[in-house]
Amino acid sequence: MILFSRAAALALLLAAAALPARAETGAAAPSDPTKNGEILFATSCGWCHSDGGREAGKGPKLAGTTRDDAFIINRIKNGKPGAMPAWGKVFDDAQIENILHYIRSLPSK
Amino acid sequence: MRVKSRLIAFSAALVAGTMLGSVASMAQAVDAKRLEMAGHDSKDWLTYHSSYMGYDYSGLDQINTKTVKNLEVAWMHFPGRTTRGLQSMPLAADGVVYYSSSFSRVFAIDGASGKVLWSYVPKLDEDLIARQTHSPYNRGIAIGDGHVYVGTVDGRLIAIDMKTGQPAWDTKLVDSQKLTVGFTGAPLFVRGKVIIGSQGGEWPVQGTIFGVDAATGKQIWSFSTTAGTEEAKKSWGNDTWRIGGGGGWMPGTYDAETNTVWWGTANPDPLYDWAGADIKTQGARPGDNLYTTSVLALDPDTGKLKFYHQELPHDNWDFDSALGEFMMLDRGGKKYMVHVNKSGFIFVYDRANAKVENVWPIVHNYNFVKNIDPKTGELIGRRDFVAGPQQEPLCPAIAGGVSWNSGSYSPKSGLWYKVGNEWCITLEVVKTTPITEPQVQLNIGANFKMAPPPSGPIYGHLDARDPITGKLKWEVKYNAPPTASVLSTAGNLVFLPDAAGIIHAYDAETGKELWSHNDGVGHNGGIISYMAHGKQYIAVETGFGGLVGDDYGSMFGEPWKSMPRDAGALVVFGLGSDKMATK
Repeated sequence: MILFSRAAALALLLAAAALPARAETGAAAPSDPTKNGEILFATSCGWCHSDGGREAGKGPKLAGTTRDDAFIINRIKNGKPGAMPAWGKVFDDAQIENILHYIRSLPSK
Repeated sequence: MRVKSRLIAFSAALVAGTMLGSVASMAQAVDAKRLEMAGHDSKDWLTYHSSYMGYDYSGLDQINTKTVKNLEVAWMHFPGRTTRGLQSMPLAADGVVYYSSSFSRVFAIDGASGKVLWSYVPKLDEDLIARQTHSPYNRGIAIGDGHVYVGTVDGRLIAIDMKTGQPAWDTKLVDSQKLTVGFTGAPLFVRGKVIIGSQGGEWPVQGTIFGVDAATGKQIWSFSTTAGTEEAKKSWGNDTWRIGGGGGWMPGTYDAETNTVWWGTANPDPLYDWAGADIKTQGARPGDNLYTTSVLALDPDTGKLKFYHQELPHDNWDFDSALGEFMMLDRGGKKYMVHVNKSGFIFVYDRANAKVENVWPIVHNYNFVKNIDPKTGELIGRRDFVAGPQQEPLCPAIAGGVSWNSGSYSPKSGLWYKVGNEWCITLEVVKTTPITEPQVQLNIGANFKMAPPPSGPIYGHLDARDPITGKLKWEVKYNAPPTASVLSTAGNLVFLPDAAGIIHAYDAETGKELWSHNDGVGHNGGIISYMAHGKQYIAVETGFGGLVGDDYGSMFGEPWKSMPRDAGALVVFGLGSDKMATK
């Protein structure tokens, strides 16, 4: 019985070890728009805007952009045919504002 | 008057009958038997990789090492609206060229004259395309049982009558409006069925491979590349198989001897996990993440998995197995299947069961693993990440040690001609949250930029190698890695269309350049050879752009900096009739 219990306990232990832990995600801090924007950017935007927007790549360098807020928000919402997707039906206004906050936080060196 | 009318009617019927008879005598049905019999001596190009053998090779030799100097443009075709260039592989049967362009437009063209026989322009969901990241290119078609088959980025598979260009059926397979992904790759026709794989990879979806009845368009089966079996589901912590990515965005091939379809699958998402060494129990997708970054052997009738090999368990580098390059080679009594992984490692399998027979790298710069065991395929010294900036650049780059366009194997020389890329990326891993509402979005999990390898500047190389052992015979280097497919022919030639727009012809044995031509815009698609009216032609797709090429302007400057992203054409070369005698 003791042997059985030990075997059962060992089996449970092994089973537990074989079960992956709960997957982790990068939950954003709602109170920090720049951090929210940074996470959204690394989720979907960084494919084309290299090094988190700090360098030119498939898309243009965003750090230090001289474009005004209205232009950037419009570009995120409507994209550029053949070059950049339109995110206006994907991200809400608050999320797009967060991405703008992140872009403005990038050092303009 | 009545007699005259009858005479006219009889004459018209006679002419029509003669014409139909003439066409019928030239064209044979492209059916399962013909496709399975097609070998490396074919005058056609019937499947994406020329035949099920997967060689991307033409047995034609009118154009050869002696005559190639007389090669000149025979005709061109401009499909229009070629956003991100032409990226497909043309097909050719009985002197007719079939090819697709961006927005899944399909054309049938007389291979000798360039005369358009028919065109088909599907109506796509343009509002969806505007929201897609990788649209709207199309990477190819399949032919069989009287139809041309093409997938669409809005999740449909369409059959078009080969003779008339009229749609025969149009089947919606993926809810692209919700999942964003659709079909960019070519289908594969197998014994009355059409098989096609959806995108997946970095999108939090269940990438799926479908089997569809070629006659009716009815879906017969589907295979989820993240949850196709209970074994697969158990390899994802917290049921992340539900949004694991995968998919199979390029066509595989068919081994008729065992009635087995081989298909490569894409990577899981996010691309870069942050579990560090604890990839089995921690991070974004704990576990091996079956069947992503794997080669699958499927029953084409049922979609049931026969066997598989996961090339990169818990792929943490976006190094898909979805590149559809499978070559069937027989040597020393063994039957091999050679497959290309995006990491630049080449896997050699036993064709009966996907047992690893050899693994060798075509690239010189890699550090995502220290090595891959050539006897078992086990990853040795894998490099996983914790969140934050990584000290050392990751090699190869996300664009791959090899890209999705194909190499070419010549049974005449016994050499495989394939491009390798030497480049890396700087990497900062970021913890992200999958976006599935209101519509699925990319889940990358990182910031990165292209970087040179430790050996020096970025470059690419065309290698001539033994495909089983990897032994190198010759190499040609390029400042910018070529992004198009390679063609070898029985004329002892290797054609490489490069990224700057030059198409080169090399001696297959030595690598010596024998001919070149400037097509005026970069190449990022297929190249084939075929026979029409007794004459050999080379057809190459032009036009540049895409997830690899769009970086070239910032990396290399001109000509890519100013190269248009909507200037693709099908350019066809032939020998002048007075110059063929020099063979």
